[in-house]
Amino acid sequence: MVILLNENYHVCTGCALLCDDIEVVIDDNVITEVKTACRKGVSRIKGCNEPMSPTVEGQQVDIDVAIGAAADILKNADSPLIFGLGNSTDGAQKKAIELAKQIGAVLDDTSSFCQGPTLEVIFNETVKSCTLDDVRNKADVIVYWGADPSNSHPRHLSKFSYFPRGQERQRGWEEDRTMITIDIRKSHTAKISGDKFHNIPLQADEEFIDALIDALSGKVPKVPFEYDPKRILELANILKNAKFGIIFVGLGLVYSLDNMDPIVKLMDKLNELSNFHLIPMVGHYNMRGFNQNMFNETGHLNRVKFEKGNNTKVQHGAEFSIVESLNEKKVDAALIIGSDPLSSLPRAVADHLLNIPVITIDPCETFTSRKAKVTIPSALSGVECGGSAIRMDGEEVKFEPIVDVKSQTIRPSDEEILTRIMEAL
Amino acid sequence: MGFGQFLAAPEQKVTIVTYRDIFQSAVMEEGRFSEEYLKLSAVIKMDAADIKKLGVKEGDTVVVKNNDNNGKVVVRVENSGYDASHSEIAYMPNSPWSNALVSADTGGSGVPQYKKIEATVSSAKGESVTTIGF
Amino acid sequence: MANAMEIYQLLPKTNCKECGKSTCMAFAVSLLSRELTVDDCPPLKGDKFKSNYEKLSDMIAPAKGASESGMIVHEDKCFGCGNCVVACPVNVAEDPLGAGIGRAPTSDKVILRVEDGIVRTSNVHDCRRFGENKILCNGCIVTCPTEAIEFV
Repeated sequence: MVILLNENYHVCTGCALLCDDIEVVIDDNVITEVKTACRKGVSRIKGCNEPMSPTVEGQQVDIDVAIGAAADILKNADSPLIFGLGNSTDGAQKKAIELAKQIGAVLDDTSSFCQGPTLEVIFNETVKSCTLDDVRNKADVIVYWGADPSNSHPRHLSKFSYFPRGQERQRGWEEDRTMITIDIRKSHTAKISGDKFHNIPLQADEEFIDALIDALSGKVPKVPFEYDPKRILELANILKNAKFGIIFVGLGLVYSLDNMDPIVKLMDKLNELSNFHLIPMVGHYNMRGFNQNMFNETGHLNRVKFEKGNNTKVQHGAEFSIVESLNEKKVDAALIIGSDPLSSLPRAVADHLLNIPVITIDPCETFTSRKAKVTIPSALSGVECGGSAIRMDGEEVKFEPIVDVKSQTIRPSDEEILTRIMEAL
Repeated sequence: MGFGQFLAAPEQKVTIVTYRDIFQSAVMEEGRFSEEYLKLSAVIKMDAADIKKLGVKEGDTVVVKNNDNNGKVVVRVENSGYDASHSEIAYMPNSPWSNALVSADTGGSGVPQYKKIEATVSSAKGESVTTIGF
Repeated sequence: MANAMEIYQLLPKTNCKECGKSTCMAFAVSLLSRELTVDDCPPLKGDKFKSNYEKLSDMIAPAKGASESGMIVHEDKCFGCGNCVVACPVNVAEDPLGAGIGRAPTSDKVILRVEDGIVRTSNVHDCRRFGENKILCNGCIVTCPTEAIEFV
């Protein structure tokens, strides 16, 4: 038995924090111990107990047969859908965009019903953003709004925002930083912010923003629910006096607003008075990468339809979102990469996937793969394959595989599988 | 045989907000078809007073129906444990169980109301937790 | 964590003094501080108090895992977020360019580190709550999202 302590740090692909200081113990090419990663990251890095096999119509086949069958489905589809890619490397995402162009597919990812709107105002430079390293080095006022990183991004507070010492924050969190949580419930994160937790009613974020803007403008803040105006004034005062402020936008905030206007208004007001930045709490490790790659290629973050044989024509809009494409039954085949829409979409929306041929590319069995016509097992990125990804703040993070990829048991990467599907087409 | 059984089971209207739970997320990474994933996913967290109104105890199963009557799941009920009262608001971790209740109607926006599910909860009278199949 | 009153409720409440304390309440406090153990109360070991004895043993059990400084980590509650690792003043002093700035610990002298997603302790004699010049530092307690760390 050879126990090999890898001296190099690895990158965790458990979420879009992409923690880059992970050490592992490997025994016979199996990761037996993971250091410094959180509970969720450890589960990701150690891998799943339900690996997927290459199958066609439920029958186990050689992976080349599965790839051939996938190509056949896509060839015969009039309006195929490609969805997922939040758990794929930049390389795989670029390949998927190429494939979508080649077959005239609808292409979308989870940002479509997640942080898409927040990223859009950042990409368009409507609001100011910054990096997580800036937050660690400079931020004195940190706001989590509709976000519970303790559960979703466990090391967010310890690695970047509240607890670490930074270049301009040398005296520690008690003296140098103020952390505020705004949420509808006292989450695990809210607990840590103590008396700086603002418990607001469900769907009341816009009214709270308006009241906060009033308070920032020197008016008496009013909200249509019971809330001590003094607490809103106190909050406004902390925000106004920030040297380097950051608002982390969670899905709680995104889902409660019809559009980003209230957030943009608040950011404009804050930046008249102090210095505030915005970062979305992106979930999947490379969802922002998908949005960035799509933006570079098409000018849109997600929700596009390419035209077969016409590389330059691309349509964009809500009707090309995965949800509306399935609701309107406008797609007749689906290629799902590193995602489980039968689990993550409303059942009533996802049901259309049961009527059309589905191909899944994933390291593990999912609810979707169990109903798929073709399944193609892929490498777990960050563990069995390397590449690059974009962290939630827009920084690129490169990573190498952790285990020995020359081993017989290693599966091909998403990028490799997509390349082989394109060759088979 | 008590008189109670001839009365309609008490119902509680709730707005369900989905959230992330690290233990459930960690178990999902290990496998979506495990007992543990079911245990940590098929849960609704309610205000203690609302649970009492339903005539059930913490840990009992309850039927959760969405108000369009399209979706129905049986899950375990737990006390949310939040200090502040939140009657008529309930919480479920993101999972196929919560998604069985989310409406397909998005008004064309492409964004389902994951954090605003209008539903009704009542006792499941001992019925076991829904297993997810398609 | 149980308080003295909860423990008291499970005791015989006869103030028999067999444990060497003058009252059952005083015994409850001694149990809480781990000065005495459940077995130091002879009446509790009778059949009449069997279920109370078991309940009390469960309540007091975590002390077995307590370190010299009285620190207990409830592993089942820990998220592995590392808040305590970065907030601990000893970790910051011993490892200013590792744990101190939020990165993986680079020093063997740290008290807290995360392994396999759960916080682990070492060098607890350096904890500020320990030794002659101890202070009631609570850096790892107030920063924990789940009360996974406590001191007894």
